[in-house]
Amino acid sequence: MRKYYEIRGWLLTAPYLIFTLIFFLIPLVWAIWLSTMDWNLISPRRMFVGFGNFVTAVQSSKVMASFINSFKFMLIFVPLSIIVAVAIALLINSLTVGANLYTVAFFLPYLASGVVTSLVTKGLIAINSPVNRLVVRILHFQPPWLSDPGWATFVIVALIAWKFSGYYALIFLAGLRGIPKEMYEAAALDGAGPWTQFRRITVPMLYPAFFTVVVLAVGLMFGIFTEPYMLTGGGPNLATHTWQLEIYYQAFSSFKAGYASAISILNAVATFAGVAVVRWIMRYWGRAYGYEQ
Amino acid sequence: MLSKRSVAYVTAAVFALTALLGGCGGQSTPSEGGSGQGEEVSIVFWSAPNPTQEKLWTTMAEKYMAEHPEVKIEVAPIPESPSSEAGILTALTSGTKLTASENVFVGFGAQLVDSDQVVPLDTMPGYDELVKSRKMEELVEGWKFGDGHQYIFPLYVNAMLFSWRMDLLKELGYNEPPRTYSEMIEAGEKLQAKYPDKYLWARRELIDPSKWWERWFDFFALYYAASDGAPFLTNKEVTADRDSAVGVAAFIKEMNDKGLLLTAEATDPFETGLTLWGVQGPWVLPTWAERFPELKVGDQIVLTPPPVPDNFPAGKTPKTFADAKGVVIYKNASPEEQQAAWEFIKWVFSNPENDATWMEMTGLPPARGDLTSNAAFTSYFEANPALKAFADAVPTAVPPVMSEKFTDLQTQMTEEMMIPLINGTKTPEQAFEAVKAGWEAMLK
Repeated sequence: MRKYYEIRGWLLTAPYLIFTLIFFLIPLVWAIWLSTMDWNLISPRRMFVGFGNFVTAVQSSKVMASFINSFKFMLIFVPLSIIVAVAIALLINSLTVGANLYTVAFFLPYLASGVVTSLVTKGLIAINSPVNRLVVRILHFQPPWLSDPGWATFVIVALIAWKFSGYYALIFLAGLRGIPKEMYEAAALDGAGPWTQFRRITVPMLYPAFFTVVVLAVGLMFGIFTEPYMLTGGGPNLATHTWQLEIYYQAFSSFKAGYASAISILNAVATFAGVAVVRWIMRYWGRAYGYEQ
Repeated sequence: MLSKRSVAYVTAAVFALTALLGGCGGQSTPSEGGSGQGEEVSIVFWSAPNPTQEKLWTTMAEKYMAEHPEVKIEVAPIPESPSSEAGILTALTSGTKLTASENVFVGFGAQLVDSDQVVPLDTMPGYDELVKSRKMEELVEGWKFGDGHQYIFPLYVNAMLFSWRMDLLKELGYNEPPRTYSEMIEAGEKLQAKYPDKYLWARRELIDPSKWWERWFDFFALYYAASDGAPFLTNKEVTADRDSAVGVAAFIKEMNDKGLLLTAEATDPFETGLTLWGVQGPWVLPTWAERFPELKVGDQIVLTPPPVPDNFPAGKTPKTFADAKGVVIYKNASPEEQQAAWEFIKWVFSNPENDATWMEMTGLPPARGDLTSNAAFTSYFEANPALKAFADAVPTAVPPVMSEKFTDLQTQMTEEMMIPLINGTKTPEQAFEAVKAGWEAMLK
């Protein structure tokens, strides 16, 4: 009987194992092998370079810019998207009518194509667009939207935050709906005002949601592609250059498959390290609320 | 613990499913389509990834197969994953059956040649006769590779021209578009004196490092005009005419320094009258007809060759850049398939009516030396005078730099020349020297 269950278990997991083998493990092994080669995939000349591609990558100003920009984006994106997402979740949670409609409405940007939203953004900030003219009239100067490193970073991060805030709000909303109302009632009886209730009940009780969202958001910052590709191409002065842009350019424009694989592996290492550090910080924060993990 | 038998069952199930998945693939090995003399030959031709060219090649293939029942041609668009070049590379890497394709420019062709993937077409029977019948002897010279062979058969040549808003120029007192750099700067200054919010030229692509191909349409179009088509690169050596290259850089810098150049994002700046000048390929004509029907070439818009330095001889037609693409045959096809593909290509290009059909369907000038003199195209040009301006420029159009490192070279040009010029961190001379040194280092 035990054997039967074991076989059944293996058979039921087999599709996933095969999927993982074909689409993750084999490509991973292939990428590791490729990263040691100087090769464009079609040339009969294939040269083993060992760690040469990795050495070139860590010395590259573009790879270094991608590494730094991941953290720069993170510093703006994580707080911005979380503040907006929590605000949306609190707003929807307070609604007695139409909560589902608003939930869907805020979630829609997540489903929108990054290419389309980038093109729309490009149109909105064009120098001859009505929106830009209105902004210029209000600010009394022409914002250098994509030609200044700071502004370009802000435009890209704001666009991604707009896209993901609704999705993150869903996670916070689920957390908010799991907080017993009695806790707020008891706190109110003890004289706690709305701000105190938010700080002492809502935030600690939402910790699991914060943990999930922060980890997702940090991971996302190492994988940005569409928005900078469509809006800035990584410029100005590499201010919006990302890992994925560099991998794309090396693999599909310069056809340096080996070098691109090496950058991909470095990207994976940086992502795992970044997420691990953030998880450690979040767990440290969680212990303050009594969450032992 | 799992018994050996259980492991065997699971392993068998995994292999069965893997085999099933593997069986779903539709690939075939290069030798599958080959056949002996007199037997059916099956070839795969990849068209450019747009419905018009796919339809055109499908029509040609159907006509050819009706006359040659022993040949089976499968036409499919090049998968853009994510670019057509990457799609072709993926096919060659994975062994996907591919006999011939169009949409190959000389830069990518150089990479295919360097990787020993394409057939030298000048070794195929009837090549010289075909070139002669299309009066392409001079044109194909620019497509000759370092080893003296021709690997790409030119299909179309998009000569780049520059467009002027004649309505704005007339308001500024001009009856003819400016011809030289100084005349252009003067026109730009007059424009801004009258309309402070307008610009001479909008060119955000100058500062976008990802758009390496845009250097063809700005720097190289201006450089070939200034230098009378002097090669920028010859056999891995920068052989550029220094004065012309520095002159182009100085012209771009001067436009920027005087506030005449817009590098911010703008939507249709030339068409909306935000700018006086623009660089155009013939593909813009259908867009203008559809989205800006009020703008008529010859009326509000005038097309001219690139502007030239002040000392350029008056009356001489400046050269320009040619965005040109052609057809190649791949070596991974069997000799029978290669031969069948060549016969099909020869059949398509031997008949001027096919060129006329091409022009009617795509709006792009086919690569022929007799385009404006051959009677087969007269009626088309009478009905489409705007395209005639582009066709007239074909003989003076120079194809792209021929190097397998084309993207790296032109990205470097953006990073070391264009961006520093716009940011004011390099003089035109320093920018040119940085490009020269960078290119030579990359090509070493």
